[in-house]
Amino acid sequence: MAKDRLAEVLERYEAVIGLEIHTELTSLRSKMFCGCPVAFGGEPNTRVCPVCLGMPGALPVPNEAAVEATVLAGLALECEIARFSQFHRKNYFYPDMPKNYQISQYDLPFCKNGHLDVEVGEGASAYVTRVGITRIHLEEDTGKMIHVGGAEGRIAGADYSLVDFNRAGTPLIELVTEPDIRTPEEARRFAQTLRTVFLALGISDCSMEEGSMRVDANVSIRPRGATEFGTKAEVKNMNSFKALHDALAYEIVRQADLLDSGGRVVQETRHWDAAAKRTSGLRSKEEAHDYRYFPEPDMVPFEFTDEWIASVKAKLPELPAARRERYAAELGLPKQDARLIADDVALSRFFEQAVSVAGADRAKPVANWVLGELSAHLNATGLAVEECGILPEMLAELVVLIEDGTISGKQGKDVFAEMAQTGERPGAVVERRGMRQVSDTDAIEAVARRVLDAHPDEVASYRGGKSGLIGWFVGQVMREMRGQANPAVVNDVLRALLDQQDR
Amino acid sequence: MMSGRTIADMTAVEVRDAIERKEVSAREVAEAALARVEELDAHVHAFNQVCPDLALQAAARIDAMVAAGEALPPLAGVPAGIKDNMNLVGTRTTCSSRILQDYESVYTCTAVQRLLDAGALPVGKCNLDEFAFGSSTENSAFGPTRNPWDLERVPGGSSGGSAAAVAARMVAVSLGSDTGGSIRQPGALTGTVAVKPTYGRVSRYGLVAFASSLDQIGPFARTVEDAALVLQAIAGKDPLDATSVDEPVDDYRAALDAGVEGLRVGLVTDMLDIEGCAAEVREAVEGAARTLAALGAEVGEVALPMSRHGLSAYYIIGPAEASSNLARFDGIRYGHRVKDAEDVLDLYMRSRAEGFGPESIRRIMLGTYALSAGYYEAYYGQAQKTRTLIIREFAEAFERFDVLLTPTSPTVAFKLGEKASDPLAMYLSDVYTIPLNLAGLPGISVPVGLCPSTGLPIGAQIAARHFDEAAMFRAAAALERALALDMVPPLVRK
Amino acid sequence: MAISEHDVRHVALLARLALTNEQVQHLARELSSILDHIGEIQALDLDGVEPTSHPFPVRNVMRRDEVRPGLSRDLALKNAPEARDGAFVIPRIVGAEEGA
Repeated sequence: MAKDRLAEVLERYEAVIGLEIHTELTSLRSKMFCGCPVAFGGEPNTRVCPVCLGMPGALPVPNEAAVEATVLAGLALECEIARFSQFHRKNYFYPDMPKNYQISQYDLPFCKNGHLDVEVGEGASAYVTRVGITRIHLEEDTGKMIHVGGAEGRIAGADYSLVDFNRAGTPLIELVTEPDIRTPEEARRFAQTLRTVFLALGISDCSMEEGSMRVDANVSIRPRGATEFGTKAEVKNMNSFKALHDALAYEIVRQADLLDSGGRVVQETRHWDAAAKRTSGLRSKEEAHDYRYFPEPDMVPFEFTDEWIASVKAKLPELPAARRERYAAELGLPKQDARLIADDVALSRFFEQAVSVAGADRAKPVANWVLGELSAHLNATGLAVEECGILPEMLAELVVLIEDGTISGKQGKDVFAEMAQTGERPGAVVERRGMRQVSDTDAIEAVARRVLDAHPDEVASYRGGKSGLIGWFVGQVMREMRGQANPAVVNDVLRALLDQQDR
Repeated sequence: MMSGRTIADMTAVEVRDAIERKEVSAREVAEAALARVEELDAHVHAFNQVCPDLALQAAARIDAMVAAGEALPPLAGVPAGIKDNMNLVGTRTTCSSRILQDYESVYTCTAVQRLLDAGALPVGKCNLDEFAFGSSTENSAFGPTRNPWDLERVPGGSSGGSAAAVAARMVAVSLGSDTGGSIRQPGALTGTVAVKPTYGRVSRYGLVAFASSLDQIGPFARTVEDAALVLQAIAGKDPLDATSVDEPVDDYRAALDAGVEGLRVGLVTDMLDIEGCAAEVREAVEGAARTLAALGAEVGEVALPMSRHGLSAYYIIGPAEASSNLARFDGIRYGHRVKDAEDVLDLYMRSRAEGFGPESIRRIMLGTYALSAGYYEAYYGQAQKTRTLIIREFAEAFERFDVLLTPTSPTVAFKLGEKASDPLAMYLSDVYTIPLNLAGLPGISVPVGLCPSTGLPIGAQIAARHFDEAAMFRAAAALERALALDMVPPLVRK
Repeated sequence: MAISEHDVRHVALLARLALTNEQVQHLARELSSILDHIGEIQALDLDGVEPTSHPFPVRNVMRRDEVRPGLSRDLALKNAPEARDGAFVIPRIVGAEEGA
């Protein structure tokens, strides 16, 4: 769908978007209510026990690390933490849910009334929007089904399905936002920013592809200036941030087309089809949901004291937003660079270690190398920064070699490539390859004089006003010196000689 | 063998002592129990499944310990019955329901494991009202259990099989579960000693849940001492049950000889006045109060007017929790499944309708309705508040008294079929026992007399403070000793 | 408090019970009579009374985040009415939404 179509629609209509984000606490060892391991995939029904299979007589016991992780998330997002809370049962039948109720939370979630500030857009049009967080609660994930027969593993048309309960009981936090989001881009940025927060907290790997982070959206539109909400649709099955954006863009235009043609939006759940790039209504049986929530009688309530909440708060790591600010204010990084590094926990850790070796005054070039060569290397190899073989001290050494003029920036790239391949320290590479750069003015001046003497016509042209020839002279000197001269010094020497004789 | 009495007549304490003294082997005890089951269970139907292999294996372990001169555990060689809603590997756990007819346990219930660890011999799985829904054990998919005192009468329920097995001396002790009276009421109707511990005293892990906030596992025995020994063995915190409580377990046996001098006993008078309380029951309970007074207890009177609303609260909370607890029986991971389901919804609807009996369906429907949109506050919310007031009322009574005395059941054992068509009349059987479940309090039913006209047993209920089972055992032991009733049912006497 | 046959059918769908017409009629009568009786607590004045879902105030019962041995797949599937490739088999799903 054309971008300008969305822009045109959003001139006439305002979109109102709220997100519902489920995140598996994948960093925990064991499941929410039993001791089965938390992991992804595996042979079906190999990480199960009486509790997560819902065998008769089995009972849930809550994982304290999951409770703490939820409260940690709440504190990171400025939520109020409940002093009294409990689990409820949400009753409905579905084959991937072993007990045919989900242990979840209802009117007493662990966290509520928080917010997250989201930077949207680049450069001059960038702005910050605050998105309210209604609640964060803890629950258990369901099992997984494989639909056999029919089309492409979809429910519709399948002959039968296979149920695997390995995932059942994985700790899951559900975050619900206020309907504060106005564009698909804001929605995408919210989800991305939230992901950076959860990654910083170390509570989840937040993989949209593997389903450890799942975003559903409620979206409605209303004419600009209207204060009442329109009828909303719930959009599901977005497996990437791009899908979230595209599904919302599609849905907003779809709703506008409906209204423009005199129709009306039906409240329903719609499924995003990434291949077809469209949403479609899930035909659901005409049975109004009645989840019959009631307090989970197999567990006792929670009472959180101020001391306990403070002890969790003390575990809060620095969050990306604060880190961004610090990089800009204390290290002088441009906003964009600060964000790119700060949003990535591992990259931030690498960057800060490199800066601590290279010195804070070299933070900017360190950042350039981290975002430039290092990121390109990681992208090309698919390696994580911790496992790429380049240590922060190595990059710091490289930056110092360049900054003090020992090698040129261009040589630096060669050294980086070599170091990435062999793991050799940059200083050693420079020594071994004899790359040490000549910055001795006298040696350079001697070569420069020879070059000028050998090319009187070019000297005349330069002095006649073709000052652009300076680059050509630099090139000649560099070639004479087999690239080992410091180009900045060469440049200075040449200018001095050419301008001097001009006088 | 001891003179005049068979091995099967021995109490748990006698069995253990006899094995320790090598007068009898655990194997002989197991064989005697199995023979008694063989002889009587065709009439009584206390068991859904008898597990001779497990019993004989357990007996062999005890005999090996005896041979090796090792110290014996407290219930060494004691034949035990287990209500068929508790998991035990090597047995089916059917809950007397068609939906679990072939369900084989894949793990063992904590309380059962503790009983076995204490040396007990698992003789079999005892019949119950389907999923423990009932007060007569007539609601079993496998046919009713009969009362050893009169085979035309019910043994009470829902733990009727566990009660009848002990009364008929097929086993010395058994485990039951009690949600609204399901241990105490059959205890009263079969002349056995029956204990519902404090909520949280015994782990519920492995007990197929009826109403999670009310269920407790407890023992049946023929003496207060045996019951105390079994509770001692199974009580205590279990990390697998978040509602089990980490409170120290008293030495119950030590309480048995303490006497009742100075014990403050509250006779709950307004419960005696309830319409439907039979005259002989009232007289027997008042007689028990006089006996306790004569033994030195300070007996006073107390009224518990909120408790009369317990029945209503219970018939909302119980079915509500049950409707959710029983949702897992859907024919996907286990249990009855229709063969020709068109789709998942059809599979659910028909498997469950075929698998559950009428009382289960009634309770699931009632509970689902009480939790459904628009009715939650009027029923469930109101019931939970009533529960608060009942707890408060008991707390006040326990400021004045150490134990409270009531009938266990308003009547003696009734005839099979007598109340089967009238659920409300059946529900009234538990009017005295339900308030303790709502308040989480411990209670014991102990025989206090035989009905002059029918010769059937009458039980009194003694309730105590949370985790003060010792006080309840103390009073019950004193009554047992003073009354010295002959509680051998005619079926066994023959 | 009367419960209609329509209500009974609705509740039976929520509870996933396929009832016959006779069962529906019977249950409508029976449940109405039970509700009549237990509805008496609606007359109690319970304003300001806190609801109780547990008999006494135990709080914060949790377990450590530790892995414990579970069931072998054979045991997990032992009671399955139908299993294939290590998974439980169910017939097709019609007209239902995806889970949470």
